[in-house]
Amino acid sequence: MTLDQSALVTTARDLLERADPMTAGIWPRATALLARQALEGALDDLWRLRAPGLEHCSARAQLLCLPFYLPGDDKLAERVCYAWAGLSRACHQHPYELPPTSPELLGWLATVEQMVAHVRTLGASGSTRK
Amino acid sequence: MEGQGQAKVVCAWDEGAALEAQKGFVQPKGKPKTSLPALGWKDALVSYRPFLSYNELGSMLDEGPSKLYDALSLVLGLEDLVNAQATLAKSRLDRQQALDGADQEREALVELLKTLLERESDDRASACLDALTSKSWGLDAAEAVLASGALPPVDQDISVLTRALSLDPGDSERVGSVVGALRDADQQLKAVAGSDAETSRQLALLLEAALEFHAGHGDSDCPVCGTKAGLTQTWAESSRKEVDRLRAIASGSDHAYRAASDALRKARELLPPPPKLLAQLFEIGLDGLAAAREQWDGWHAGSTVSDLTAVAIHLETRHEAFASAIQALKKSAAAELKRREDRWRPIATAISEWILTAKEARAGAEHLPRIKAAESWLKDASADIRNQRFAPIADKAMATWEHLRQNSNVALGRIELAGARSQRRVTLDVTVDGIPGAALGVMSQGELHSLALSLFLPRATLSESPFRFVVIDDPVQSMDPARVDGLARALDETARTRQVIVFTHDERLPEAVRRLAIKSTILSITRRPKSVVEVRTALDPIQGHIQDALALVQTTELPVTVLRRLVPGFCRSALEAAFITVVRRRRLAAGRAHGELEDELKGAGKLTPLAALAMFDDRERGSDVMNRLNKFGSWAGDVFRQCKDGAHDEVAGELKLIIRDTERLADKILEFP
Repeated sequence: MTLDQSALVTTARDLLERADPMTAGIWPRATALLARQALEGALDDLWRLRAPGLEHCSARAQLLCLPFYLPGDDKLAERVCYAWAGLSRACHQHPYELPPTSPELLGWLATVEQMVAHVRTLGASGSTRK
Repeated sequence: MEGQGQAKVVCAWDEGAALEAQKGFVQPKGKPKTSLPALGWKDALVSYRPFLSYNELGSMLDEGPSKLYDALSLVLGLEDLVNAQATLAKSRLDRQQALDGADQEREALVELLKTLLERESDDRASACLDALTSKSWGLDAAEAVLASGALPPVDQDISVLTRALSLDPGDSERVGSVVGALRDADQQLKAVAGSDAETSRQLALLLEAALEFHAGHGDSDCPVCGTKAGLTQTWAESSRKEVDRLRAIASGSDHAYRAASDALRKARELLPPPPKLLAQLFEIGLDGLAAAREQWDGWHAGSTVSDLTAVAIHLETRHEAFASAIQALKKSAAAELKRREDRWRPIATAISEWILTAKEARAGAEHLPRIKAAESWLKDASADIRNQRFAPIADKAMATWEHLRQNSNVALGRIELAGARSQRRVTLDVTVDGIPGAALGVMSQGELHSLALSLFLPRATLSESPFRFVVIDDPVQSMDPARVDGLARALDETARTRQVIVFTHDERLPEAVRRLAIKSTILSITRRPKSVVEVRTALDPIQGHIQDALALVQTTELPVTVLRRLVPGFCRSALEAAFITVVRRRRLAAGRAHGELEDELKGAGKLTPLAALAMFDDRERGSDVMNRLNKFGSWAGDVFRQCKDGAHDEVAGELKLIIRDTERLADKILEFP
C-alpha cells in the first residue's frame, strides 16, 4: 500500500512541527524529502489526468509545462517551481549548504499542500465528467 | 575556572521579560552561588574581550582610527601612563588657571586701589598699590601693610587723623586744681609780702656763726663791729631767738615763692602752643578746625601771663570753650577716620583674602616648569613603551594575516599605534600589489574581515588575559573558499593555546576543518518552529546521513511506509557526500582552485554524473557507473539504485540492510584516489 500525497504532506508537516527528540536534527531533510515526494506525486497525478506521458519527462520539462495546465492560477505554477527547486536542493548533498530552516520548509509545504489539493479537485471533477 | 574547578553559568529570563532583563548567576562546583560581576572580569572583558561578533568584525576597521586605537591599546596595560599624563596635564592646567585667576584678581584690586587713591591719599592703599604692581606682586609687603602693626609715615592723613584722636585739652578737674593752686600761691605770696627772706636767711646764718663762735670762745667783743663785750650770755640767748624768727620768715617766703612758680608752671603746662598737627589737619580739612585753632590760640595766649590770679582767671574762663572745641575737632577727625576706614576696609579685606589665594597660586606655579618637563618626557616615554608593548601583538597580527591572506594581493606590513589624544590612530602599512595607498578602500569585505580577525586574535589571546577562550561569530561569511582554509589554519594555530569557539552557518569552515584534519568538535544546531533548538554533535556528512537514517529507522512514531520514503533519501545524501569528498580531495591535492571545483561539483548535479566524476574523473561516463559499482559486488549496484530511485518513491527491501550497504559503499568510494 502506498501513501497518497495528502498523507505524505501531513506526515511532513508533523515531522516539522512536533518536537520529537527521536527526529532531532533529522527533520529538516526528512520533511523536505517527504514534501518533494508529495509534490512529485501530485505532478504525476496531474499529468495522468491532463497530459498522459508527461510524467515520464524530466522534472525540468514538467515544470516548464506546468503553467499551461494550471490555468487561472499562474502564481501557483510559479510557487510550485520555486518549492520544487528548494526541496530538491534540500534533498541532495550539496557542498557547503546547511539544511533548510523551518520557515523555508513551512513555505514550501504550504505550496505543496495547495498543489495536492488542486490536483485532487481536478481528479474529482474529472471522474464525475467521465 | 582557574583554581576553582568547574562552574556553571546560568542565564534565565522571566516570562515575557525583555532581552536585557536577564537573570544570570554563576554556580562554581561545591561553592555558594555568585554573580557574573562578582567574578571580577569586568575590566578584562573590555581589555581582552574574547568575543568577536560579526558586527564587530565588520565595523572594527570602519569605526574610525581612534576606536581601533583604543581597542588595541587597551590591552597594553598603559592605563597608568595615560593616567599619569592626565594627572600631570590636570595639575599643570590647575596651577596655570590658579595663577591666571590670581593675576586677574590682582589687576582688579590694583584698579580699586587706584580709584581710591585718586579720591584721597591713603598710605596703606599706596603701599599696597606699590606692592601689588611690583613684579613679584609684593605679597609679603602688602601683608605687612595690612597687619595693623605697620606704622604709616607721619605725614599721611590716616596717621594725622589718628593722632588728632589723642589731642588732650586737659580735664576740668585738673584745670580746677591748677586754678586752686594758683590762688593759694597768690595768697601765700601776699602773706610774705614785704619780708625779705634772703636777708633773713643770711642774717640767721651770720647769727648762727656768731653763736657758734661764742660757744667756742666764750664772751668776747663783737668780732664784726668791735662793740666791747658784745658777745655775752644774754646776747646769745636773745640771738638764738632771733635766729629762729629769721628762719621762720625765710622759710615762709621760700614756700610761697615755690608754690607760685609750681602753680604757674603747671598752668603753663595746660597751655601748650597749638600743635603742628593742627596745620596738618588743616590740609585734610575737617569740620570745627577753625574754631579749634582760634580757641587754641586764645588758650595758649594765657601762657605769657605771669600774674597768678590773671592766669587762674584765664584758665577758668577759657577752659570750657577750649575743651569743647577740641572735643568737636576730635569727633570730626573720628568721623573722617571712620569714613575712610569704611572705604578702605572692604579693599583691605579683599586684598588679604587675595593674598592667601595668590600665595597658594604662586607656590603652585613654582612647579610649573618641572611639570611641563615631566609631561614632555612622559609623552615620549609612553610612545616608546606603547610601541614596544604593541610590537608582539603587531607581529602576531601579521602572522595571522599571512594565514588568512591566501591569494590576496593585499600585503600587510607594519602596524603601529600613532598619534595621541584626538589624533590617535592605528597605522596599517597595507600595500596592494606592492603599491601603498588607500588600501582599506580597495579591500574586499572578506579581506577586511580577515584583517579585523588578524587584529582581534593576538589581542584576545594575550597571556595576560584571564580568558582561555575566544568566541568568534561567523568569520567565514564573505570569505572565498581558499581563505576559509587559511582561516581554519589560523584558528588551529590559536587553538593550540586557547579554546576557539566559532559560530557559523557556512558549511565551508567545518568542511575545511575536516579536510585539513584539524582537531575539533562540531556541533550542529537546528531550530524547529517556535525556536525549539536542538544541538547535536555533527559528524562528517557521510556518517551524519548514515546516522540520521539509522535514527529514523529506530523512531517508533513514523509508519514504515513513511520510512521507506525517507531512508533512501538519507542514504543517497551519504553517497553524494562520499562522491563529493573524493572529488574535492583529488582536485585540491592537484592544486586546483576552490571556486573552480565548486562550479564543477554543482555542474555534476545528480547522483549518477557525480558518481562518474568521482570514479572516472569524467561526469559524462554515467553509463559506466553501474558496471564499476558491480565490481564491488552486486549489493553495491543494488544499493546505489535503491538510493537513487527511493529518493522519489517507496523502496522495497530491508531498510537497515540498505543503510548498512550504503555505509559499505561509501567506504569503497572513499578509497578512490
